[in-house]
Amino acid sequence: MSLEQLGKYVEDGDDKESKALAERLLTDGTDPLTILNTLTEAMGRVGERFAKLDIFLPEVMLAGEALTAVVELVRPRLPKTDTWTSKGKVVLGVVRGDLHEIGKNIVKLMLETNGFEVKDLGYDVDSLDFIKEAEAMGADFIGASSLMTTTMPRQKEIIEFLKEKGLRDKYKVVIGGAPASKEWADMIGADLYCENANSAPGLMTGLLVE
Amino acid sequence: MTTAYRIWEMIERSNTGPHMEEDEFLPRLFTPTLKKIIKKYEIKYDPDNPVQTDDDMADRLWQAGWELFREVGVYNTDTHRMIKVSDTEIKEALYTAKDQYRVGAGKDAVLWKHRTVEDPEPPFCIMSPDITCNEEYHHSMCLAYLKEPLLDGICAPILEESTGQLITSGGPTEINGCIQHISNLRLAARQLGRPGTFLVAVGTAEHDSGQIAVSDNEWGVRTTDARLVGSLTEFKTADTLLNRVVHYAQYGCYTGHLTGPIYGGWCGGSEGVAVTLVAYSLIGLVIHGAIFSQHFPFHLNYVSNTTRELLWSISMAGQSLARNSTLLHTSNGFANAGPMTEMLFYETACHALVSTVTGWHLWEMASARNKHRNRATPLEARLGMEVGHAVARQEMTREQANDLTLKLLEKYESNAADAPLGKEYQECYDVAKALPTQEHYDMYRKVKDELAQMGIEFPY
Repeated sequence: MSLEQLGKYVEDGDDKESKALAERLLTDGTDPLTILNTLTEAMGRVGERFAKLDIFLPEVMLAGEALTAVVELVRPRLPKTDTWTSKGKVVLGVVRGDLHEIGKNIVKLMLETNGFEVKDLGYDVDSLDFIKEAEAMGADFIGASSLMTTTMPRQKEIIEFLKEKGLRDKYKVVIGGAPASKEWADMIGADLYCENANSAPGLMTGLLVE
Repeated sequence: MTTAYRIWEMIERSNTGPHMEEDEFLPRLFTPTLKKIIKKYEIKYDPDNPVQTDDDMADRLWQAGWELFREVGVYNTDTHRMIKVSDTEIKEALYTAKDQYRVGAGKDAVLWKHRTVEDPEPPFCIMSPDITCNEEYHHSMCLAYLKEPLLDGICAPILEESTGQLITSGGPTEINGCIQHISNLRLAARQLGRPGTFLVAVGTAEHDSGQIAVSDNEWGVRTTDARLVGSLTEFKTADTLLNRVVHYAQYGCYTGHLTGPIYGGWCGGSEGVAVTLVAYSLIGLVIHGAIFSQHFPFHLNYVSNTTRELLWSISMAGQSLARNSTLLHTSNGFANAGPMTEMLFYETACHALVSTVTGWHLWEMASARNKHRNRATPLEARLGMEVGHAVARQEMTREQANDLTLKLLEKYESNAADAPLGKEYQECYDVAKALPTQEHYDMYRKVKDELAQMGIEFPY
């Protein structure tokens, strides 16, 4: 049994086998960080396959669950000097008046499986609640999705509220959703527009590096 | 008679039905049930033959869709409860549903009838850009679509702004926009001498308050028109949607059920999309009291349904519904390419061809991935409807349609990911006259002539 097999189990979304094998690997003395790196690589492959729709959303969700099961097992075994820190903290939601959340849910999955810590605010979220939750979490990002043209103004409203509260520079505001666009993001002063869920982890990581 | 007589039983169930956490509903109930059903009924995608001729699989697909609806029900995100129905209730609704409805008013009223597979009767043609447009072009676009000879019904473009203000869902600006929307539409219909044309309106209303505000036989949406109730992907509803169900039934207009199963999402692949489409038609009938379903399955990445994965689902679901029910259902095309590109004309023709031969009515045509403001014109819809009329009249078989589909796919399928955005309405049309520019018309004519050479027998 090997790290390679563990990666395969995670890719296949088999949380029970993933957890059992991770237990054995830890018992045999495998470095916990090595295990986590294996998981990261496996989830990278999952993301690539999903981007091409060689696999579908349910399979990505199962892989994400297998990943979580192993991470929860491994994390307490990490030496105190080693940490597996998140790439960034994100509050994520669908704006007020909008009940369509599949896009937001896919973004959440892609972010979590790529090492981001995500607080999911759900859908029909008031603009002020995005800000309150970001403050409470100490977030790096506010992610606001809209699937309808008539709820897009709420993305703008979040940015306006941030400005009025003197908090605009504290958060990177990321927008997405079917009717959103780069032009709209520029017009309302968002930091980033993500055209699809697959691009979100990379683009958001890049934004923090800037 | 519609099946809306059960609305209060359905509403009660949405308040008292079995409870489930919303986060559990799709991953723990919907998708696992769907996967089991696909296996049980041996539904199998065949990429080499987007237009299938397997009658037995079409019938198994009907059973699969029925079972999915019965086993999963519909989840109300406000009450966190599931609306469940019995086999008897589904049978009762199917028995009482009519196979034809007279829609529209006066001399412009049209009889909308159920179609069969390879039906020689042309499809019912609803034209719709499915997209938002600038306030200044809205009336012109309504005129331009209403000028289309084969139009049986219209769903107008959506306003993003009204009296210069951004429309916000659920707010006063939406009510204003909805009134502007229906006023432009009815004015355009009257100007063109077809005031009673069947309207599916108003798309500007995302919220129930906007819809309810325009119910008026004198100046608004009439009882001879239809309104849509959407489903939240997948198999979810909410009180704001059920408000519409109740209002439309009590107002007395026709209800249509709007659904968009997502390829790559919770449905999985082509098989899951096909099963879900069939189930959605039953949901529309039993829970929403709808006289028709307006289906726009789409690809998660492309937001289109003109590639073979989706054409297969459309062809299978169409045959399943046509063979096993007397229901009405429209196939809503979503193209990758934008207006005034040959690719959009090919995509529209292919979508209309597949849909018509497999028993659907037509709803054409969302272009440029249904994303970009002003990027839709009536001319691509015209070609789609002309293809629909032609292939029905010439009694094209599914085998012939499959051959032609494969030839058309060769022309555009490899460009799906990087399709051209095309041009905006005002670049393709004379806005004042609501007529296509010569350049746009010539491109349409060129593709139409090419289609004729490929075997489509256009009457003109």
